[in-house]
Amino acid sequence: MFINWALQEINLKIVYYGPGMSGKTTNLEYIHSKLDPSLKGDLVSLKTKEDRTIFFDFMQIEVGRIKGKKPKFNLYTVPGQVYYASSRKVILNGVDGIVFVADSQPHRMEANIETLLDLEKNLKVDGQELENFPWVIQYNKRDLPGSESIDELNKRLNFFDVPYFEGVAVRGDGVFNTLKSVINLVVQKVQAQL
Amino acid sequence: MVQTKKLKDGSRQVVLNGRQYDAITKVLSELAVKTKASAILFADMSGQLISQRGKTDDMNTTVLSALAASDFAATSEMAKLVGEEAKFKLLFHEGEKRNVYLSNVGDEFFLVVVFDVSVTLGLIRIYTKKAIEDLNKSLEEESEKSDVGDMLDSDFSTLLGDALDDSFK
Repeated sequence: MFINWALQEINLKIVYYGPGMSGKTTNLEYIHSKLDPSLKGDLVSLKTKEDRTIFFDFMQIEVGRIKGKKPKFNLYTVPGQVYYASSRKVILNGVDGIVFVADSQPHRMEANIETLLDLEKNLKVDGQELENFPWVIQYNKRDLPGSESIDELNKRLNFFDVPYFEGVAVRGDGVFNTLKSVINLVVQKVQAQL
Repeated sequence: MVQTKKLKDGSRQVVLNGRQYDAITKVLSELAVKTKASAILFADMSGQLISQRGKTDDMNTTVLSALAASDFAATSEMAKLVGEEAKFKLLFHEGEKRNVYLSNVGDEFFLVVVFDVSVTLGLIRIYTKKAIEDLNKSLEEESEKSDVGDMLDSDFSTLLGDALDDSFK
């Protein structure tokens, strides 16, 4: 969190984390497509030729002034592919809240778990603990046939009992609820620690 | 000192007060005048833009800061791979019309100087070095405590929730 008293700005960094092709970029693209132009900046994507995120996607959104203060949210995604491990680590620098975008398809369960462990490991480097950190889960691709049950997904991935949302990010289902929830969580945590 | 607090969950809170912001912006203004740089940004390593000077109207400086931070991050990984134990201190991108000079300010911040190729690199180097010393000084200056509680009271979260609902309609 970065607070600039002179400009009365509060900046939060929210990172979308998850395995490759789980829909992190799709979440940002949907938010970008729906927000009023006055409230959003450009969506920048650093992609490979194959349309995979190579470094990150970035977008800043605002909600106008609240009690004279100007909250700004910097949304980032990380590349999901295993071999981009070091870019994932650096994007977490200064992170305030995390959205873990999980893929609901049964054959992606291992990838979900592996990426979650990778997240935990990367947070630890900075002295952060997943257990106390503000984060939420989005179970994405709920529209696909044969997707894993929410019970099973919760059992395998949600071991700290964080808020979770069902998503179909291409249609926008669950996208705003997920973002709103993580922002609320970050603000609550800050207040609790004052 | 810029107020940097580590919260219980491990996340970092950086608070910049009005005096520090003014001091930083003054250093950037001077640097802009002396170097005739097109744009100068001061940001932190998480990609957060703090202050800017120069002709930045047509430049998306928010995105530029995010990209510059990742530039530093990528090159510090590069440094490890080639056996350089410290981080690379400065990065230079040479173009046909414009050059970009990036230099770290302590471990947490950095400076981006965008300038025309007609300006010599030596000039940029000398004045940037001086500016970094001045920035370090203003960042270290004793600061009055700013109360974050005043900024983020419970009213604020309720109103923020409403504002998010409005924006996400």
